[in-house]
Amino acid sequence: MEEMIEVVALSKVYGKKDHEFMALDDVTFHVPSGSSVAIVGKSGSGKSTLMHIMSGLDHPSKGAVIVDGDDISSLKQKALDTFRAEKIGFIFQSFFVQANESCYNNVALPLEITHVSGAERKKRVLAALKQVELDDKVQQKAKNLSGGQKQRLAIARAIVNKPSIIFADEPTGNLDSTTGEKIEDLLFSFNKKIGSTLVIVTHDADLAAKCDMQVEMKDGKVTRVTKTKPQTQTPSRRKVI
Amino acid sequence: MKIIDSAKRAGRSLRSAKGRTILTSLAIAVGAFTLTAALAAGTGARQYADKLITSNVDPQSVFVAKDETLFGGGAPGAGGLKEYSENATQFGGATFKALDQNDIETLEKISGVEKVVPTYLVTAQYVVFEGSETRYTTDITAYDPSVRADTAAGSLPELGRQIGERDVVIPESFAETLGRKPSEMIGKTVTVRVQRAIVPPSDQEIQAAFLSGGATAVEKLVSAESRDEVFTISAVSAKSSTTFSASAALFISDFAAQELSNYITEGTDQYQKYITATVVVKEGVEPTEVKKAAEDAGIVARTAQDLQDLLFTIVNTIQGIVVVFGVLALVASIFGIINTQYISVLERTREIGLMKALGMRGRHVSRLFQYEAAWIGFLGGTLGALVAWGVGTALNPTISELLTIGENRILVFEPIPIVGLVFALMLIAMIAGWFPARKAAKLDPIDALRTE
Repeated sequence: MEEMIEVVALSKVYGKKDHEFMALDDVTFHVPSGSSVAIVGKSGSGKSTLMHIMSGLDHPSKGAVIVDGDDISSLKQKALDTFRAEKIGFIFQSFFVQANESCYNNVALPLEITHVSGAERKKRVLAALKQVELDDKVQQKAKNLSGGQKQRLAIARAIVNKPSIIFADEPTGNLDSTTGEKIEDLLFSFNKKIGSTLVIVTHDADLAAKCDMQVEMKDGKVTRVTKTKPQTQTPSRRKVI
Repeated sequence: MKIIDSAKRAGRSLRSAKGRTILTSLAIAVGAFTLTAALAAGTGARQYADKLITSNVDPQSVFVAKDETLFGGGAPGAGGLKEYSENATQFGGATFKALDQNDIETLEKISGVEKVVPTYLVTAQYVVFEGSETRYTTDITAYDPSVRADTAAGSLPELGRQIGERDVVIPESFAETLGRKPSEMIGKTVTVRVQRAIVPPSDQEIQAAFLSGGATAVEKLVSAESRDEVFTISAVSAKSSTTFSASAALFISDFAAQELSNYITEGTDQYQKYITATVVVKEGVEPTEVKKAAEDAGIVARTAQDLQDLLFTIVNTIQGIVVVFGVLALVASIFGIINTQYISVLERTREIGLMKALGMRGRHVSRLFQYEAAWIGFLGGTLGALVAWGVGTALNPTISELLTIGENRILVFEPIPIVGLVFALMLIAMIAGWFPARKAAKLDPIDALRTE
């Protein structure tokens, strides 16, 4: 089985000398390509820091994160930006959609960053909006959407660049349970359909249970790695870039 | 991120904060308004000055005088002591060093000089127009053949030719005063009464007069002698806002002017002394060469170009002052932009964090904010320039009327400098936007996204 993410002996220390704080302490685990992973733990357990480092937003103090064979912890800022733009999709608890932009322009942002333009951009944006069933709100401003619609918009923005990995940080935390479930279904369907590896950071046990794999964290350490379902052979992932 | 995409996003983000955008732009608009008006006024004033010079001054003439104060360098008759000079003459209460016959001859000998025309001072006691009993006072000047005025009636000789010895040209305004049409004035006569200056007689002269003719002879000796000269109106010059020759004076031939001038001043220290003279330079000879030769001979000289430069210097100075005010307004607006954009960065911290998380490079984030600033500069610049253009065009006739410059326009709007100004303002706005933009570029996405 091909590994999408290899987290190797990862440590992250905040502060200096007397005030040192170990946010991550020797974290090691592997994420198979195309699988879904839940990183669970209470707040302060280090799960957010772990996600930031895995997605190239933050640098580890020690150790390495190998994504698709490349060690991203050694990348320079510019290469790291390109890496995130091309291979990562993000979904956040508070959506972070651009309120004053239309749905179309929200979804177009990652394509603008990666220089996809013209007819190709339009085609991809409209396709992504259709996949999250927002194709009737293309020119609507994001601020006029409901919470669930905003999160669907965020999902469209995350998948429009066909990323290898989608990071979802408490994706249902701000939604009611019905809407939350719809979002979860949507995330897992993309995980299966386009083969993007899905990394969900959550403290919701039910959501975690739906994932192929759970990484439990406490005080910066991995306490347990479980694989709930036997690894189903994922359909061959669509080649990215 | 492509420039076009950045520019579009910047534009949209401004549109979503309309109030703030408009207010910030207005500050720039004030500066743009002032600068556009200053540019227009400068252009208009230079054009007018140029017209004044070309329609009044033969480019081949050099103006000469003995007294430096006549050409700037202190107002005539200004305070302070002046050294006594044999050649100093009193004119209208002010003392000037005057050009004498020797100076005129010196000038005539300079190579390239066609002729030297002294400025004859003819002061008439009064003038009487045919068909009227009223006595009028007026200035009398020698006709300048190097400049051809427009006529309202009659005809003037071709350029370079003097009018007839007994001819006179009157301005249209005189005909109006007399209540006549210009055409009715042609062929009519003008009688000019000139009075010889009183030369105090010596004691011997008085004694001799008394012995020969008694008290009447003495009275005659000390009373002013005067004579009448009759001229025929050959042309009436049309009103013009650019030609000085249309100013309120009678124009007689230089021959007649010389004769009258000599008659008036004979026996006084003003006899054959001239405050100024015009040197006509032959075609093909540079007036500056003649000027140099004249100055070497101790005579102050100015070419037509010098006069134009002097006028332009005045215009440029005034324009400079207005520009300084415009620039001050711009400096104030720069702080406005910096402030607005800082607030914008603070307001959109999460959005910036998101864009950086999605892989947008720091300098592209920075560009987004700089383009916003550039848009503000563009809006303000265009608004200010358009308002200045509109208001200026609307007020132009009124301004011209106030300045009595006829059809000439003092505000001349030229598109290229205005477009240049708008571009410059965009650039200035971008530079101002650099400080907040740098703050945006340096934001750490993790911190930015944590902000609730």
